[in-house]
Amino acid sequence: MSGPSGALTSGGAAGADGLALATRGLRKRYGDRRALDGLDLSVPPGVVYGFLGPNGAGKTTTMRVLTGLVHSDGGTVEMLGKPYKRGDRRRLFEVGALVESPTFYPYLSGRANLRELAASGAPVPSKRIEEVLDLAGLCDRADDKVQGYSLGMKQRLGIAAALLSDPKLLLLDEPANGLDPAGIVAMRDTLKALASQGKTVFVSSHLLAEIQVMADMVGIIAAGKLVREGPLKELLSMQGVVKVRVRPDLMEAAIKTLTPIAPAEHFTETDRDEGWLAVHLAADRAEEVNRTLAGSGIYASGLESGNDLEMLFLELTGGHGSGGEGAFVGLGGPNGDDAHDGGASAGNGTAA
Amino acid sequence: MRLFASGIRKLSRRPATFVTFGLLVGLLVLIVLAVGATANSTMGNGANQATRAAAAKELVTFPGAYDRMLAFITGLGGLFAMIYGAAIAGSEWSWGTLKSAVARGESRVRYLLASFASISFMIAIGVVVAFGIAIVAAIVGAHLAGLSTSGLGDTATLSGLPARLLKGWFAVVEEAALGFTIATLARSQLAGIGAGIAFYFGESFASIFLPDIVKFMPFSVANAALATGSSGGFGGGAAAASLPADQALVLVGVWLVGSLVVTSIFADRAEITG
Repeated sequence: MSGPSGALTSGGAAGADGLALATRGLRKRYGDRRALDGLDLSVPPGVVYGFLGPNGAGKTTTMRVLTGLVHSDGGTVEMLGKPYKRGDRRRLFEVGALVESPTFYPYLSGRANLRELAASGAPVPSKRIEEVLDLAGLCDRADDKVQGYSLGMKQRLGIAAALLSDPKLLLLDEPANGLDPAGIVAMRDTLKALASQGKTVFVSSHLLAEIQVMADMVGIIAAGKLVREGPLKELLSMQGVVKVRVRPDLMEAAIKTLTPIAPAEHFTETDRDEGWLAVHLAADRAEEVNRTLAGSGIYASGLESGNDLEMLFLELTGGHGSGGEGAFVGLGGPNGDDAHDGGASAGNGTAA
Repeated sequence: MRLFASGIRKLSRRPATFVTFGLLVGLLVLIVLAVGATANSTMGNGANQATRAAAAKELVTFPGAYDRMLAFITGLGGLFAMIYGAAIAGSEWSWGTLKSAVARGESRVRYLLASFASISFMIAIGVVVAFGIAIVAAIVGAHLAGLSTSGLGDTATLSGLPARLLKGWFAVVEEAALGFTIATLARSQLAGIGAGIAFYFGESFASIFLPDIVKFMPFSVANAALATGSSGGFGGGAAAASLPADQALVLVGVWLVGSLVVTSIFADRAEITG
């Protein structure tokens, strides 16, 4: 993506309660399985909202309900300040969506696909197609058939398609899928720019690191219910972590040494072989941890601190296997400890 | 109108359009030329040879060749149209393009009906062009068989030709609607095509045992609606028992509308997942 092109012309819209998107008691069953079990979301306008949850938690079902692909069994949805019910399809004229994988006619070019898609839903001026192609960085390949596109290019085209109607509310399901690092950075910048212009960007993802650097707000869903929602900074301020690397044979001694500044349950051996130990403390106490260890003759070979969305996520969703689709059971056991790798995978941290 | 025009653009660039049309025309030309070239063959015993030669010559003798070419197009073409309709409708589900349109706020029913209208338009072009090519092939076949083509300009036949082409198109569209509906219900190209072919040959086979029922079925009424006076098209069970043309034409309309109503109801209620 080439970044924001300035092609956006209209700002967001919010309801009387100040929300761009709200669901109340949203329910959906597939047979015996409850996909959504009274979901309450409150998405303010002009933010990037990260919608997180383990596999099978109900993220995609939520997206499908919001885009009219499936019908909810109960609950209400308010979109851009107005109730959105079954049959209110025109409410979606102000919404752009990428649900699951991007879908196109493989025998048509990227440009032709956008042109034909623009024939449905809200009317789109033809120049808008060129704008979104430019935004997605696809101008050079716009006349190639989509069947020759890479996964990342299809994803870019999918995001371009979602932006076709210059939507006030953008619903994106795993938009980073298949994008290369540069594409992810450009997408992130684009979404942030959209939010800064008053649009509301609702992004479903399981890439916690990506959400952590992009979202203003997050909602975490598990088993079809919202388990936490709020501004990201606020949530993370309660979820500090200091990771320290010591010699593996000194791990026990390090825990003992640090016990006076952190209760025993605040320790997690993230990688015993590598000697990484996570201490659940405010990120600004990293120096204190280092000093305490050094005072006992244990010298850290690595120190990281930050606010870890991954830990918050695992804590709120019950760690492994909380989703409806099951999960891998790590070699370190089913308690989720092995989920933390040696580095600050999702940490907004600093390394020493 | 936007959707209809978009549908035409999509179909006009779709390989399935050309493959289907090419197969129909290719088979038609091949058969007609082969028949013309072998009409005077001396193979076989006397009685059989004479019967076969007479039948072969009848196929490429004008003005009767007009009806027989149209019967070919609506017979075998009906099967191809059904496959074509199933391929188009099924791919909207398989490729997820219906999902994209619905997520943009498009009406599912309007979208699918506009898609079908586009298919009908393409079939109209296909029927006319295939008929033109078939007539040329029949003329060549007649020359190969050493027959006169003086019946080409038969005024009575020519004056009724537009109406007969219109009926032929209507019948083929009904068969396409059937494929379209089956694929919509199956939400799959392959399942739609497979089920459609099974239906086509199943109806043909059942006409042997249940002619009084099968004559009301979609392929039979499509063939009967043309009332060509020939021995029927390819498949479809029209030869076993058939309704009067007017009655068959009404039933073609009933099957067409019924198919589209089923498509609309299903599409409106379906949950679009995957």
